[in-house]
Amino acid sequence: MTFNDEDLVARIKQALKVVIDPELGHNIVDLGFIYDVQVDDGAAHITMTATTRGCPAASFLKDGVASSARLVPGVDSVDVTMTFEPPWQPSMISPGVRSSLGFAEVN
Amino acid sequence: MIGTSLCKWVISYFAVAIAWLLLAEALIVIGFGFPNHDIGGPDTLVVVHMVSIGWLSTVLCGALFQFVPVLVARPLYAERWTLPALALLTLGLTVLLAGFLALGGRFNGPPWLLPVGAGLLIAGFALVVANLGMTLWSARPLPGPARFVAGGLACICVTATFGGLFSLVLSGTAIGAQWPDLLVSGVPIHAIAGLGGWLTFTAMGVSYRLLAMFMLAPDGDARLGRLAWLAGIAALAVGLVGGVLALWRMTGLNLALLLAGAAALLSLAAYGRDVLSLYRTRKRRALELNTGMSLVALASLAAAAMLGATLLATGAFSSHVGALVFLVAFGWLTGLVLANLYKIVPFLTWLETYGPVMGRVPTPRVQDLVAERRALKWFVLFFAGSWAATLMLLFDTALGFRIAVAVVMLATLGLSEEFIRARRLADVAEPLRLPTGAAMPHLLVSRN
Repeated sequence: MTFNDEDLVARIKQALKVVIDPELGHNIVDLGFIYDVQVDDGAAHITMTATTRGCPAASFLKDGVASSARLVPGVDSVDVTMTFEPPWQPSMISPGVRSSLGFAEVN
Repeated sequence: MIGTSLCKWVISYFAVAIAWLLLAEALIVIGFGFPNHDIGGPDTLVVVHMVSIGWLSTVLCGALFQFVPVLVARPLYAERWTLPALALLTLGLTVLLAGFLALGGRFNGPPWLLPVGAGLLIAGFALVVANLGMTLWSARPLPGPARFVAGGLACICVTATFGGLFSLVLSGTAIGAQWPDLLVSGVPIHAIAGLGGWLTFTAMGVSYRLLAMFMLAPDGDARLGRLAWLAGIAALAVGLVGGVLALWRMTGLNLALLLAGAAALLSLAAYGRDVLSLYRTRKRRALELNTGMSLVALASLAAAAMLGATLLATGAFSSHVGALVFLVAFGWLTGLVLANLYKIVPFLTWLETYGPVMGRVPTPRVQDLVAERRALKWFVLFFAGSWAATLMLLFDTALGFRIAVAVVMLATLGLSEEFIRARRLADVAEPLRLPTGAAMPHLLVSRN
């Protein structure tokens, strides 16, 4: 089975929505934690972040991203890089999730 | 380093601490110790140490074992030291309390109970300080909140040293007999270093990071917390160094305490300004119960600062110091701790239960482990009871104080049930509660 890479990236991003930030209570894609997803001949390379470098949830998030991406048909291997450059900002959250977190209009 | 691991015994620290809190509250309700007995008497010392060591210090040690690695993004230096430290603290406190009871003639105990209990406690705190100190040392230069923790660790060393010396004096040993005036002049230093330095200063530092995290407020400015830290360190240094010098020369203690008090007020004012700034710049408008209740606890701290200044100005400090200490210990510190346990316990439970299966199956949110509307009434009762109890002490109404503490105890029991429900995943709706691969957490120990 073969997939167009662009289509596969979209499927991976959709699959990553099963991973949530436990504290903010939303999936990490809408929270803006996923910085980049690339696919190269079935090998997925994902660059992601978390709210706090030392947070005990960070390693679980990284493992969760690898697990969910690996379940996507067409993905043979997954490589996840956790980075804190640039640091995550609340402005990276998607507008719909922002309103559910009670963000003020001015912010 | 990315992420820190769960500390296995943190939940055990919390459980032991809550048991001591409930026991202390029960003793107050039945009229044991102040105000029914002398504020400096052995029975009062039992209750005071049950709250300050059994409850506040134990819960703070547990929280720091999990949170200091988060603050400095380094692993805890030695997780294997955490259980022996808990055992030493618990055993040491039990022996110390037996020593106080014997001192008050409640039973015919040997005189070595106090120094042995103090020695065990010093050993326990030494393990805690060494573990957290080495963790901080590996992360120099320290971020702002971690500096407060370092200051707090220095203060628990001073508190424990004075406590150890007191035990030698009170038990009538030959060594203690060399310092007959130590108790009179040293108690303020012991109390300031413990309540002000170890408990309050550490809690202030940790709250900078926690409040910023929970409110999604920007806390990257290096100036944030600097004045509060500098003024706080000045207050503690003047209070401790000045106090020890005054002890040595047997004069000038009041001047040292007055200067320390002024610097402490400046530190608290700067801290209040910083918290307001975090609150105003927060991105998350809808605050969760833990953050809202932390802010209520901070209001108690502000009230305690104003009460302390008023008592000093009117010359009523020594006659009402009990009310001030109660407001600091319950309205501020206990309120802040309970508010944060309401987040920390479900969060650690979530990580332990759902972290390992994340990405493979849908998982609930941390918020799904709690029922905020149900818990709110317990927090309202807790703070109303704490403030009422403080007023009753100010009005010298002993029975009213005991009734108000009974309300505080009821609230503590209610919140304890909430914590147990979170550990039991009792409020998580099916089918998310225990997905394939997830294991039910133990009540008192974490799997890590």
